[in-house]
Amino acid sequence: MMAGERNPASCHLDERTFRLCCQLFLQHSETIQDGWSWEQIKGTDEGFIKKTVLIPVKASVLHKQHECSMQDENTVTDDIQANVEDETAGVQAVCEIHAVLRYEYHILYSCSYQIPVLYFRASTLDGRPLALEEVWSNVHPNYRQRLQQGPWDTLTQQEHPLLGQPFFMLHPCRTEEFMKPALDLAQAENKRVNYIVTWLSVVGPVVGLDVPLSYSTEVSAPD
Amino acid sequence: MTSLGVKDELSSNASCRHLMNMIMADDKDVLRDVWFGKIPACFTLSPEETTEREAEPYYLLLPRVSYLTLVTDKVKKHFLKVMKAEDVEEMWFEYEGTPLKWHYPIGVLFDLLASNTALPWNVTVRFKNFPEHDLLHCPSNSVIEAHFMSCIKEADALKHKSQVINDMQKKDHKQLWMGLQNDKFDQFWAMNRKLMEYPTEEGGFRYIPFRIYQTMSDRPFLQKLFRPVSPEGHVLTLGDLLKELFPAAICAEDEPKRFQVMIHGIEPLLETPMQWLSEHLSHPDNFLHISIIPAPSD
Repeated sequence: MMAGERNPASCHLDERTFRLCCQLFLQHSETIQDGWSWEQIKGTDEGFIKKTVLIPVKASVLHKQHECSMQDENTVTDDIQANVEDETAGVQAVCEIHAVLRYEYHILYSCSYQIPVLYFRASTLDGRPLALEEVWSNVHPNYRQRLQQGPWDTLTQQEHPLLGQPFFMLHPCRTEEFMKPALDLAQAENKRVNYIVTWLSVVGPVVGLDVPLSYSTEVSAPD
Repeated sequence: MTSLGVKDELSSNASCRHLMNMIMADDKDVLRDVWFGKIPACFTLSPEETTEREAEPYYLLLPRVSYLTLVTDKVKKHFLKVMKAEDVEEMWFEYEGTPLKWHYPIGVLFDLLASNTALPWNVTVRFKNFPEHDLLHCPSNSVIEAHFMSCIKEADALKHKSQVINDMQKKDHKQLWMGLQNDKFDQFWAMNRKLMEYPTEEGGFRYIPFRIYQTMSDRPFLQKLFRPVSPEGHVLTLGDLLKELFPAAICAEDEPKRFQVMIHGIEPLLETPMQWLSEHLSHPDNFLHISIIPAPSD
């Protein structure tokens, strides 16, 4: 290895460090009431962190076939915006009906890849799970092209390895691409990072998960 | 001696209608026995489905190493004949009320749920009320391919830090999938043998890719890092794995056996080295799928 070349293995994370990073992450979440919590697997020292959020989306995002049922089952909020500001040429009012979706995010540790993995599931308020196509339309357009490049499509439906239920997962084999530049930079500046904070700040926004900036400044790296 | 024992068991396994002539206790024969293992199944349409007339059950020999949605086109065609298009959604299967996870190899599902029941395996076919909270969707074969390749990739991450799979070209990956899809043992193993190699000085893979399944558990499976050789250089066995992850499956000599530890429908000797099991009894996805089931009470 050349002098100054970082061991590529440091893109990885051992399970103990994962748990420590999560603990520190959770402490800050508690402080800013960001809603994350630790789920312990009964009888083991394994676990994951999770968070549930309600996200308003445009009704057009949901499958046409479900639009009728959506209205029937009262997932439409009272918040109907009508754009009546444009008075110029007698423009018709445009109504945007907002629906509310429930997103549940889980961060698990993968012992095979030795990195964290993001799982999530989405449903309407009445419990109807969203299909992959519907979830796709909630992915920011900037990320869509990159995710679609394959070879193994990066956003797929998978069985949650601890709960056994269908979730969506961001494929872990691309993690090194995201993390390497960030970890390289930190090393060059002689800083130690909290792996979870750095990692989640990169992958979270791809699937609509907001990670407030204070995590980057307030959460320390484990010793 | 161990490989001989496994080979005998595989050949005489009642759920394997494929009868093999035992010539030599060659490890390569074990690979063939595993690949060509079959389970006789009887598919019956659920009474909850709406039909225009009664449907006859459909009998099929299922490959243990494949996936339900990959090998049941004929089942679908058969039952569609008695149904109206508007009553047909994504086909799914259940056994005694339990939805069958198509993304588990067929042999694993059978060993886990039905190995101690009479053959044929009675599977119920459904076309509506897809259990969204239990099963993954399978809209096309490319989803099965993606899942299969994802398992192979994960197995190689454990065995070789992904070096071997990443050194392969796209066409090599395709060959692995096509080999499985078209039941081409030689085509598959021409590529797969690379994934079974390791540096001689290491004595085995970095970690063994395995999953342990159990019906009476909230967890779908157990998976941990496990080295085939101990730090002192001892070759670790199936018994060593169970001692660490499922000690209840190991009982003293005078105790009645409480659990059966099953791989491809057989119970390998606990003295079998994990490295040997990984090289010879893995599924095409390169994982050792181990089912732990309650021992039948006679």
